[in-house]
Amino acid sequence: MKEIYFTEENVAFNVEATDWEDAIYKGVALLKKNGCVNEHYAAEVVNNVNEYGPYIVLSPGIAIPHTRPENGALKVGLSLITLKTPVLFKDTQEPVKVMISFSATDSEKHLNIIKIIVKIVEKGLIDQISQINSLSDLNHLIKEEQP
Amino acid sequence: MLKILVVCGAGLGSSFACQMSVESVLQDIGVKADLDHSDISSAAGTRADIIISGKNFESQFQRYDLPMDLIFLERLVDKKEIEEKLVPVLKAKGAL
Repeated sequence: MKEIYFTEENVAFNVEATDWEDAIYKGVALLKKNGCVNEHYAAEVVNNVNEYGPYIVLSPGIAIPHTRPENGALKVGLSLITLKTPVLFKDTQEPVKVMISFSATDSEKHLNIIKIIVKIVEKGLIDQISQINSLSDLNHLIKEEQP
Repeated sequence: MLKILVVCGAGLGSSFACQMSVESVLQDIGVKADLDHSDISSAAGTRADIIISGKNFESQFQRYDLPMDLIFLERLVDKKEIEEKLVPVLKAKGAL
């Protein structure tokens, strides 16, 4: 994957989720719809969080649901959802408002996905993204961050 | 060369992101190191001088009783926190 694009297919705004597990399922559902992961992936992410703690909460306000390639990844891909009601992960202080779920097939090929996630966090764009309601606004905001 | 391993649950996302922030901190302070990322289950068997991971993994690492320096971060991509915690370790190792 050379370029990262957010499209109608992999983005959803103001998604309703009852808790962190539900939010993971909703974000991963877009990966599944796009053929990036199989039906086991979301449950594997939830299992990993239960086992290892909230390692997918990268920075306050943002989670990056993902698990090992062998847990159901079919190809490299990502999805972005914003949550209508932020969800709290156990042992964390601040609720998560933005989720960028991704799938990886080895430890390197998804480099560009990680790059854009790091740029979003380092530039402090999470709050702005959480308030966005349109794809064009989203792509405009992160245009300069494209790897 | 100094080897730094960044560790998270799956070894793909948070650790990879943290590795980038660590790389950028090392560049700022002029230290060269060999960096990699991995999942926690393979971390214990990997040779490294320093392991960097999230606070939520601290208790799991303590069980392994590892010989290398361990650094635990509240925020994995917070360059300020990384620098604050990494610099003393690098100085103790004579790398800075």
